[in-house]
Amino acid sequence: MARRVVITSIGVVSSLGASSPEIIANIRQDRTAFAKAPFDEDIAVCPVSKFEVRNYTGPSKERRYLNRGAQFSVAAALGAVKNSGINHDSLKKAGLFVGAGPNLDIGGEFPDIRGGAMDRQDLMALWILRFLPNTAAAVRADLLGIHGENLTVGGACAASLQAMGEAFRKIKDGYLDVALTGGGDSRLHPGGILAYKKAQALSRRAGAPDGASRPFDEERAGFVPGEGGAFFLLEELEHARRRGGSIHGEICGFGSTFGGGGLTAPDPEGKHEEEAVRKAMAEASLEPSQIDVVSAHGTGTQLNDHMEAALIVRIFGSANTVPLPGGSDKPSVIALKSWIGHIAAACGAVELAVALACLEDNYLPPVRNLIKPCRPDIHFVREGTRCAPRTLLMENFGFGGQNCALVVKSGAVR
Amino acid sequence: MDVLEEITIILAEILDMEGLEITPETYLIRELGAESIDLLELSVAINSRFNIEVNDDELFLRTLRIHLRAAEMEGRDAAGYLAEKYPVLTVSRVGEILADMGGGPVLRMKDIISYITCYGKN
Repeated sequence: MARRVVITSIGVVSSLGASSPEIIANIRQDRTAFAKAPFDEDIAVCPVSKFEVRNYTGPSKERRYLNRGAQFSVAAALGAVKNSGINHDSLKKAGLFVGAGPNLDIGGEFPDIRGGAMDRQDLMALWILRFLPNTAAAVRADLLGIHGENLTVGGACAASLQAMGEAFRKIKDGYLDVALTGGGDSRLHPGGILAYKKAQALSRRAGAPDGASRPFDEERAGFVPGEGGAFFLLEELEHARRRGGSIHGEICGFGSTFGGGGLTAPDPEGKHEEEAVRKAMAEASLEPSQIDVVSAHGTGTQLNDHMEAALIVRIFGSANTVPLPGGSDKPSVIALKSWIGHIAAACGAVELAVALACLEDNYLPPVRNLIKPCRPDIHFVREGTRCAPRTLLMENFGFGGQNCALVVKSGAVR
Repeated sequence: MDVLEEITIILAEILDMEGLEITPETYLIRELGAESIDLLELSVAINSRFNIEVNDDELFLRTLRIHLRAAEMEGRDAAGYLAEKYPVLTVSRVGEILADMGGGPVLRMKDIISYITCYGKN
């Protein structure tokens, strides 16, 4: 019999909160953390306030080698394990699959750099660790006693979804019974903002920062950087049942393709993006009509949202302008970057945590700031909706043509 | 602030231990659990704070056993040989170290203090 993979614990650190109830409460009250970047009036960001990694790690001398993104990553993973009740022996054999991005905080790490020379006395002996992508994984393995297969994935903004997909496959294919997977990232510092501003990817829309992230809106003008982390404990279904683990949902399919076209822009025809989505649905043995909710990548950039909206219509067909009474066979589309900003390498993980919190609460959050949808024939969620969706399709498309999709069924396993 | 206090603050940060109680007799490795990576950070911090070109092997008595072996090969007196190699250590401290070798890494806070006091320009 095919092995099934379930999510038995979630750890999350986000601008909406660090637990499902907190996230839901903030969404219900339309409370977001969007603000102007402290050093650049033109740019909106979505920071996590009052985050202190030591509250998660306790005293730990390795903390000093974690950049902020890595801190979110480690904190979320420790949260997931703490919430899981899993024992030390299971963790010892567990796998670890992490989506990570580069540390772009050049100015913060080396404020005194001049002409390539670093005349700075307080530079740590091992500052290199703050730049190595696998430092977060190593610290986490040390703190949690994880010794199984591991992989740090650098697949740009699809990295954490890709990591989750790889973890799912390792369990499904029998290599592991337990895996910890997710990611953390932060690029709100001057180095990160400079990088994306130069690339003309950031929203520079005038007005309240709250209105800057507007996926799929005609007036969208770029993405708004966010930060945070989320981790999931994945288990083979029978393993989870035997130990009495609580089940938040099941991962049913994963699809991944490589665009191989431009280094930043998506393929305008979205051919390989579409293939990733179709592969995920095929592995889950689901027809497009069986997907209840699409959690879109929805960056709020002209190019991504144009490509992604067309892709959604190609796969699911043209939806009626107004959902028919009694429901529709077209999925509802949510875009969580309008709530938490774009968390780069960790966007997939944090978006899945937020999406699962909403689905467990039988609630779909609106796409914020969606006034004039770029397409009329998609069921974008326009206002908070009470319903009981079950099947969720996650999409993430990253720089370099990194395309990933994951199909998750929320709630108890049937 | 004396050297002991300053090193205590530096070590508390490196080891992420609050309210660290350290005396000159405290063993860095045996008691505080300092690992090579921590000593590396301590060396960089001492270099920066006290403006000393640190020789890690000498500061942390890293080559102690190599020197002892060399003394044996050359048929030299161990205490005399060590005193030559570690000019910052007093004769009585060398004797103490030789008597303490069986208990594990001998490095104590007072050795760090001696080093800083001897080479510090501050």
